[in-house]
Amino acid sequence: MRAEVPGTDRAETPGTGGPLLSMRGVRKRFGGVHALRGVDFDLRRGEVHVLLGENGAGKSTLMGVLSGAIVPDDGEISIEGVPVRFGSPRDAHEAGVIMIPQELDLVPGLDIAANLFLGKERRRGGLALDNRRMRAEARTLLERAGVSLDASLPVGSLRMGERQLVAIAKALAADARILIMDEPTAALSAAEADHLAGVTRELAARGVGIVYISHRLEEVPRVGDRVTVMRDGQRVGEASPRAPQSELVDLLVGRPFSELFPPRAASVGAPVLELAGASYAPDRPRPGWQHTRDATLSVHEGEIVGLTGLMGAGRTEMMSALFGFGTTGRWRGTVRVGGVDAGLGSVGAARRAGIAFVTDDRRGTGLVLQHAVSENVTMSTWRRVTPFGFVSRRLQGRAVSRAIADYDVRPRRPEALAINLSGGNQQKVVFAKELLTRPRLLLLDEPTRGVDVGAKAEIYRQVRSLSATGLGVLVASSELPELIGLCDRIVVMRDGRTVCEFGAEADEAAIRAASEAADDTAAAAGPHAA
Amino acid sequence: MSLAAASAPEAARPRRSPVALLVRFQSLLGLLIVIAAGLVFSPHRHGRLLFLQPDNVANIIRSISETGILALGMTFVIIAAGIDLSVGAVLGLSSVTTADLLVNDGWGLWSTLPLVVLIGTAFGAVQGAISTRFRIQAFIVTLAGLQAARGLALIVSDNSFININYGHGPGSAPPAFAVLGERIGGVFPVATLVFILLAVAAVALLNVTRYGRYVFATGGNERAARLSGIPVSRIKVSVYALTGFASAIAGIVHAGQFSFGSPNDGTGYELNAIAAVVIGGTDLFGGAGSMVGTVAGAVMLGALANILQLNDVSPAMQLLATGAIIVAAAALQTYVGQRSGGGSR
Repeated sequence: MRAEVPGTDRAETPGTGGPLLSMRGVRKRFGGVHALRGVDFDLRRGEVHVLLGENGAGKSTLMGVLSGAIVPDDGEISIEGVPVRFGSPRDAHEAGVIMIPQELDLVPGLDIAANLFLGKERRRGGLALDNRRMRAEARTLLERAGVSLDASLPVGSLRMGERQLVAIAKALAADARILIMDEPTAALSAAEADHLAGVTRELAARGVGIVYISHRLEEVPRVGDRVTVMRDGQRVGEASPRAPQSELVDLLVGRPFSELFPPRAASVGAPVLELAGASYAPDRPRPGWQHTRDATLSVHEGEIVGLTGLMGAGRTEMMSALFGFGTTGRWRGTVRVGGVDAGLGSVGAARRAGIAFVTDDRRGTGLVLQHAVSENVTMSTWRRVTPFGFVSRRLQGRAVSRAIADYDVRPRRPEALAINLSGGNQQKVVFAKELLTRPRLLLLDEPTRGVDVGAKAEIYRQVRSLSATGLGVLVASSELPELIGLCDRIVVMRDGRTVCEFGAEADEAAIRAASEAADDTAAAAGPHAA
Repeated sequence: MSLAAASAPEAARPRRSPVALLVRFQSLLGLLIVIAAGLVFSPHRHGRLLFLQPDNVANIIRSISETGILALGMTFVIIAAGIDLSVGAVLGLSSVTTADLLVNDGWGLWSTLPLVVLIGTAFGAVQGAISTRFRIQAFIVTLAGLQAARGLALIVSDNSFININYGHGPGSAPPAFAVLGERIGGVFPVATLVFILLAVAAVALLNVTRYGRYVFATGGNERAARLSGIPVSRIKVSVYALTGFASAIAGIVHAGQFSFGSPNDGTGYELNAIAAVVIGGTDLFGGAGSMVGTVAGAVMLGALANILQLNDVSPAMQLLATGAIIVAAAALQTYVGQRSGGGSR
């Protein structure tokens, strides 16, 4: 199964000399749980080795061992043929093994240069900080990381994609030979992720060995030379990144890709959302927001409509404006919910019109993490469990236990704190909270971000069964295969406008082409299949 | 104690580990320890423990009534992830306004007290509105409010001390007002009764009403709360109105207890109130906290000061001991926060 990478345009580097890194028979137990059951892993110079696996598969433990954060029970690690034993992340650091964690270890309040040289500040005469020199060196490092940013900008002012690149520059500043990237695109937009893929390839071409942990199957062919899949603390196989997604999913969960998606609806009902020539004028403009300029689309009862487009096309912005989240303002043109002019523009108006919204950031905006599941579930509907303003334990308990059963939240304890739930279960709580408002239209923004394939399938099934009860669903996602598999129709947005629409089982390449078309004439020529 | 029953709703959100239980009841536990220490270290007089003498107990609960009332309001603000530094100054403003209206302007109780309460509440609401509307940190706004309230107190009082004499006719306050300085049955202070009534109301408001849930949610995750349709801005303004309300009541109690109004009274009270809230287990970052804990924290601080006084410990040592207890309470919270994987930041 250990196939050499086929002769792609980037495969010239692997195979020069022995492996850069070799891990053999690594074992680790946490209490009674076997996190790693004798895993082998290797990495060549100049290679991007993608490590795939669901939550709990052991990827993070394996990389924890490699980066010195976890001491293994058994197993050998050698770098360039020399056996090493890391007792702490500092040991690994000194050997040139650098991990970029998902929660980037950057200090938002410090500028870029200060972050890059944190702990290794350049000084003049051993005393005063040499800011000029640090900024100059920072510029070079940033260039190598594929980004041109002013090194005196505070990290807190950067977008997530830019921060990721700064984190890479920081690893370069530490002379990384082996770079571990833990789900680097989890918080990035599609365009940022594309750019990051290019930077990653560039680094590999310079001879850095890169371990790339990922959840996102569709980015594997763009970035990887080799793929190793883990499941239940074991290596279950190795594949070419060119392998079809279905094959990777098979390895990951042991069932075919197409089975992830539930069957489509047979028929749809009356329209629940109608936009025609709709545009949005915010009360206060927000920098960097692509406001909706001209949107025409409809969502019917029992229908799931997808919303796609490149980063900056205005998908999220349109959903936020429909719900009044983070913005207040006025819609112009036709905006009808359930057949009546809704007068949207604030959260209150959206709720009254029967709209529910699941944001793309369940931890930041969906949940109160330190509160119990019961409090989170009833947060949008407290009015219903607080007759005359007083909390009724009985009503709340009844609503919560039903929601926990309906959405299969694990553990089944209303008093469990949201922070202790897995990503998939947190998302179930958010769904429960929103659907208790008995909406007629559900807006979903990246509903499966950061959850593993098994949980994704669960969410797809849930969304479809909700729509079968007559709910209209509008779902924005940057993962096209997901939209194609799930949706009845897909609407493409560009520059705040809806440009064209595709039917079920649309062709991925055609949708991509429509999203990226440079001018409107090309879009007008695109297929209008409704 | 009537507060024990009110702690029942708290049990609906249990945590599991014994250490977490320790934090949940840290203020009550601390209170028990302080009382035990009081029994051990209390001086004896005529063979009886001075600490447990009815007079002494009455002294303790009287001494905490004002800080306690402030701390009740402060708990709402802190759970909503805010802070109010102006409460001591508003107490001063309220006490001096009460004295001025009653003595110098000849107003009756039924017009004076509602007006003072209204002024205090409005003062708090305005601070909350400024902080919310212009997105200025509450620390800054209420620091400015502290200065402003002191300034107003100086204007109202013409920069002087107003003595409250009781009697009828001009220059005297209605004798009924003196009741705030009296003791029921010669033992139980009326000021403490005011505190207890307010504490029961505050426990109920925080734990069993929709409003209380909104306060927790606002402090726990403002954006999630907003998305859930909770009127976050109104909630934030309202908690400052509550501290203003509490400060005004505390100011009236202050004027009644001491029979005078002074523009400089209440200086530093805001810090005692915050200390009681923190010792009571409320998270300074918001989203978590307990009103019962606040009450226990206030009683504990009062009892501690009393023990030290009974033993003739110098005021300097008293301050040091208070400081140590605040740090210990905070350390315990952080420790458990890390152990349970949540809450700590």
